[in-house]
Amino acid sequence: MRKLRLILFFVILVFILTSCTTDRHEVDDQVYTLMIGCDKGIENKVRITIQFPTYKEGGGGGMGKKGGGGSEEGEVSGTLVATIEASSILEGINLLNTSTTRRISFVHTKTIVFSEEMAKEGVRDYLQPIARFREARRIMQIIVCKGTAEDFIKDNKTQIGESLSKAMELAAKQSENSGYFPEVPFQEFYTATISPYRQAFTIYAGLNEFKTIKPLDGENVKKNSPLRTEYNMQPGDIPRTGNRKIEFIGMAVFNGEKMVGSLSSYETRYFLLATGRFKRGIFTIEDKNSPGDAIPFDLRLARMPKTSAHFENGVPVVNVKISVEADLGAIQSRIAYEKVNKINDLNRHLANIIQGGIEKTIRKTQQEWNTDIFGFGKKIAHNFSTVTEFEQYNWLKHYKEAKVNVDVIANVRRTGLMMSSSPIRNNEDTILSKERK
Amino acid sequence: MIKEGKIGTIEAISISTIFLITKAFYINPGTVIKLMSTAGWYATEISVLGSMLLFLILYLLMKRFPGNDLVGIFDIAAGKFLGKLFSLIFSGFFVYYSGVNIREFVEMIKAYILPYTPPSAIIILFMGIVIAYAYAGLEGIARMGYLSFIVILVGLVIILVLPFPFYDIDNLFPMGGYGIKASLQYGALRSSAYSEVAFLAFIINSLQGTKNFRKAGLISLAFAGIIIGTIILCSLLAFEYPQGSENLSALFQLSRIVYFSRFFQRVETVFIFIWVMASVITVSITFYLAVSIFCKSFKIPKYRPFLLPFAFCTFLVTLLPENISEIVEKHTNFLRSYSMFIVYFIPILVLIIAIIRGKKGVKEKDEEA
Repeated sequence: MRKLRLILFFVILVFILTSCTTDRHEVDDQVYTLMIGCDKGIENKVRITIQFPTYKEGGGGGMGKKGGGGSEEGEVSGTLVATIEASSILEGINLLNTSTTRRISFVHTKTIVFSEEMAKEGVRDYLQPIARFREARRIMQIIVCKGTAEDFIKDNKTQIGESLSKAMELAAKQSENSGYFPEVPFQEFYTATISPYRQAFTIYAGLNEFKTIKPLDGENVKKNSPLRTEYNMQPGDIPRTGNRKIEFIGMAVFNGEKMVGSLSSYETRYFLLATGRFKRGIFTIEDKNSPGDAIPFDLRLARMPKTSAHFENGVPVVNVKISVEADLGAIQSRIAYEKVNKINDLNRHLANIIQGGIEKTIRKTQQEWNTDIFGFGKKIAHNFSTVTEFEQYNWLKHYKEAKVNVDVIANVRRTGLMMSSSPIRNNEDTILSKERK
Repeated sequence: MIKEGKIGTIEAISISTIFLITKAFYINPGTVIKLMSTAGWYATEISVLGSMLLFLILYLLMKRFPGNDLVGIFDIAAGKFLGKLFSLIFSGFFVYYSGVNIREFVEMIKAYILPYTPPSAIIILFMGIVIAYAYAGLEGIARMGYLSFIVILVGLVIILVLPFPFYDIDNLFPMGGYGIKASLQYGALRSSAYSEVAFLAFIINSLQGTKNFRKAGLISLAFAGIIIGTIILCSLLAFEYPQGSENLSALFQLSRIVYFSRFFQRVETVFIFIWVMASVITVSITFYLAVSIFCKSFKIPKYRPFLLPFAFCTFLVTLLPENISEIVEKHTNFLRSYSMFIVYFIPILVLIIAIIRGKKGVKEKDEEA
């Protein structure tokens, strides 16, 4: 009996220690895709582009060390980009295994990118594999890009630090520092597409070819520099050069599975403020007492917005109360807004601008697309006693009829490191600042 | 007779609660949300109340025959033939329960972790552990159950708290689900999902009295109601009801969406750890009960020689379902919606027979005291 037990013990031990099941995988027997792109196919349903690390210097995961060999043709920041056409995402990636030396795994995929064209036709067929396939994690980010996903991924590189995967995660987190785009994990996007309360939205991105910024040549230098505060730009339109081409700005709006439009950078900020997702960002307004001068604020939400909804004569009414706090970043006009009597004026002015912006953004989603990305349906649902009644009412159909009242309270809490702005003088003893005018 | 030893009330509560809540690691929360949508989290308490009511009727039977376990009561109240028949039904039921539970475990483990491992390899390993537990006997299972219960509770708290950034209280509205009628109907029917607590009636002699039996049963039912209700609530808060009804395992999905930073994510290992622990304890109890009821009904003093034959029977049951759809739609649906017709209604029938025939047990001295 003892012998039998010992034999059994060793058999089990061998079985466990050698991991001899068909599911054992050496970590570096696989390549881990960082980004998956989906474009419309020409020969087949979908064109899939994947990016995976080469495990050489700076190879995506940030584990690469020198000595692994030189960079290969087509290598981007220590990663390779491969494209294939297939009937589905899973089939395509499986097909790519025929030309890859290691098994392609999804477990570390950070982002999935849909081209705008594909998003407009509908992403239903591509949501299922991510929601259903065990390797894909629902914390990956969803992006809709202008142009093709293939080109987008080819430009997905890092110029700061070696790890592309780290760069990708930090790039998505930039939403918290600017508020120009939302951070949308697949989990949230997918839930919204099947939700009776709301509809989906995601990051809108594009490649900046650095052509929107005009050169500082003779004619341009002579022009006056106009003040533009609410620059409602689309991805790829930010006037800049340098750094990486990829930029996230604005958000793609979906009706069900199809993209129906997009919100620009400031509309996105208003959306984030109204939904309580806005963390912080520099928000610039024009000084009403000194047109042409800007007042930038370090803006944040004072508390989560309070949203309530009820019906009045069968019309849904939504009330949104938003409270924001700001610190003064600068007063270009040097008007003494720091004083108590003026700071209240500034508060009202800031609140009016934000309120107008939010109302305009809500109207746009109602009138142009009838798409409730704000999730007001969740508050409307409070007015129904059963899910059956709520589904029969079909909020998503009635969103456009809703009357939405927005109330914003702004409070400039701090004035930075200065308590007042002294006038600037020149050698003619002329006070240039408008404070004393 | 089999010497089962003594177990304390806390140990009994621990193993009973584990036995009751293991289903929440599988498809159960998704099924409840599918049937009752936003009302699922509180409608499951209707099932608990229903089960408590039936358990109290079972308690009346046990109180009528102090010092006897359910197998003994079957023999006394219903006669040798019917008594044995009832006992064998329960023995068979627990074999079936073990088999279906193992197969559900295997399907889940294949869906999430080991997709290409042969199911028989997982089943054999699992069965090996279950046989070892059963070999150790009820006392061994109870001691391990007590230890595991603490670990399972800590793990559950971790998994349910960490996804809080995804929680939205508005997802619980409209609160009425598919209506009061549907909630009551499914809530009452799914009392079966909490009927496992009746197993305490088979080990009542180890619990040292009917009062401990009642205490352990009611407390474990209350615990299970709170735990399963909370799991369904968290699933609704994170996923809304349409997606909540899609998930194969609500708890696993909750653990997979945890993301705080690049360094704090992928906590599903916690889930796997407690999931395996709970499943092993549950199947060990049901497997042990199947063997022990069989032996008790035929007055066989040693149960250990029967472990391997019963393991073989359980293995055969695990092979019955052809796919996961069959497990979900037929087998687990039967266990969680209709098992009370066996687990509660046979003892209630025996109670009625006992009342009609005027059969009663002899009060023990300590019971009288």
